[in-house]
Amino acid sequence: MSAPTRHASRPALVAAPLPLPAPKRTVDMQIIADWVESGTRVLDLGCGRGSLLDFLVQTKGVQAIGVDLEFNRIAASVHKGLSVYQGDMKQFMSAFPEKYFDRVICSRTVQELQDPSGVILEALRVGRAVTVGFVNHAFWKNRTAALFRGRKLRNEVYTTEWFESRPTNPVSIADFETFCAASGIAITRRVFLRGNWRQPCRFAPNWFAGYALYDLTK
Amino acid sequence: MTDANTDPEGTAHDAPGEVGLVVPQDFHCREPFTFDNGQTLPGFILRYETYGELNEARDNVIVIAHALSGDHHCAGIHAPGDRKPGWWNNLIGPGKAVDTRRFFVFCANVLGGCVGSSGPSSLNPDTGRPYGLSFPFVTIRDMVRAQKILLDHLGVQALHAVIGGSMGGMQVLQWGIDYPKFTRRMIAMATTARESAQAIAFNEVGRQAIMQDPAWNRGDYPRDGGPRVGLAIARMMAHITYLSDASMDRKFGRRTVAKDDPRRSRRLLEETPVGPSDEQLANLNREATEEADKPDAFDVKFEVESYLRHQGESFINRFDANSYLYITRALDHFDLAATAGGSLEAALAPVEAETLVVGFTSDWLFTPEQNRAVALALLRSGKRASYAELDTDLGHDSFLLESPELYGLVRGFLER
Repeated sequence: MSAPTRHASRPALVAAPLPLPAPKRTVDMQIIADWVESGTRVLDLGCGRGSLLDFLVQTKGVQAIGVDLEFNRIAASVHKGLSVYQGDMKQFMSAFPEKYFDRVICSRTVQELQDPSGVILEALRVGRAVTVGFVNHAFWKNRTAALFRGRKLRNEVYTTEWFESRPTNPVSIADFETFCAASGIAITRRVFLRGNWRQPCRFAPNWFAGYALYDLTK
Repeated sequence: MTDANTDPEGTAHDAPGEVGLVVPQDFHCREPFTFDNGQTLPGFILRYETYGELNEARDNVIVIAHALSGDHHCAGIHAPGDRKPGWWNNLIGPGKAVDTRRFFVFCANVLGGCVGSSGPSSLNPDTGRPYGLSFPFVTIRDMVRAQKILLDHLGVQALHAVIGGSMGGMQVLQWGIDYPKFTRRMIAMATTARESAQAIAFNEVGRQAIMQDPAWNRGDYPRDGGPRVGLAIARMMAHITYLSDASMDRKFGRRTVAKDDPRRSRRLLEETPVGPSDEQLANLNREATEEADKPDAFDVKFEVESYLRHQGESFINRFDANSYLYITRALDHFDLAATAGGSLEAALAPVEAETLVVGFTSDWLFTPEQNRAVALALLRSGKRASYAELDTDLGHDSFLLESPELYGLVRGFLER
């Protein structure tokens, strides 16, 4: 955010027009919506511009709260009519009592976190259930690309060159299941999607699933 | 109603227009008013301005709540030659974030104030002299209740929103608590639910400057007199708390006042809210170097001193010292949780409005933490509330400054 400019002749619109939701998003959003119960209290960690929460409010009538770090995303969510909080998600959750939320959602967020286990465990404290969705970094095309190209992954998901990328912490299905087992987290539901993120993947998911969704409790 | 320029045809394009000429109105309440502390007045006056037009349902109203040193004149100008428009003119107007083509915008000088509304400088009809310290003790709640009486008089059915920063933000929260059915949206900026020890401490230094000035005379002074030195010092000190180290350094640095015309650079600084241009800065810095060896050590030397002295001087011509004592005391006593057994959630329980709280990273008077606490308490008590934070280095006064990001946020919230 830059300092306010001196001669702002026109007020800025809140949000630039949103790009059409990537078709890849629709299936995981629909699965999350299926898991969410109507009228419940839902927290979305890393809510972005509020697309998922807006969808859940429209389809499930949830009481939605989103958390995000960036002002422009918060402003866009505010414009959508959502309740959102700009700030650190762990600090935010620490302000709430145990099991305050029916569900905490971490959709495509875990790979960006400083302290993923801290966040997930805190989410399990304030939430009755925690939904985690992430891109499976161990998908076979990623593996072969690394093997044969010897370069940073670049595809639909990983769109940037190394020199223009932020540090991220990619996660695989095997990594995540190991973490859950080691932390005593119960996996109540899991869905794996193939590389197109549409059809279910039923065989060797750590190789053949492009996307994974988990429902957790503790 | 005012004769505010509300021509919707002439402003129906995208570029925001100006509110234009406005005439303040006086509302005389003839009914007795009982203050929070039990004292009463036989009636009161509130001076106010409105911009835009009230719709048929009388519910397109946006109340603007002013801060400690503000007043009812928040947009437009009073005369064609006015150099400065109302204090929130950048936010309010046709096509602006608070769009006077859609909303009927209302702002009143608070009860206890000194810009036309009843306060300690008003004449007591029983004595023919200013009330002084015999004016009842005022709270934020009293300020809001008096405005509600005025809005009822105007036939207003509901508020689309209440918006305010600093003390205005406190009034916003009070609106939501005391009139939950009436208040549909709240925007509270750079504010707190509880005046902190540091903020009380600054207020106390200001009050001591006033009360230690012999001309204060226990609040009993003629209308054109009073503790001018004390009030100016109070203002100078308070003004520092509205800025930040970074913004003061950018605006003044260590520059000294120009030799040939000490007022020139001061004017330059006043006319450029964010700071002078590079070329202007270069000239000022050159003059500063030439000035550096001047021997008269305790005369105005640095730009920042000149600026603060000017702030003090212009304040004493528009503000009453007793009002300053009363309003700072109202701030000190503001503690929403204390009114509900120590629980902020309980205090906010009646709220039905959707709330937007906005904090500013460099605000060290009402810190981001204090603003967050308001939003978190609202969310914990199941209310619809958001918290947004602007990364500015302009200190507490950030909420007043030109920021397209802030305009966009406010506009988006008011549209939902």
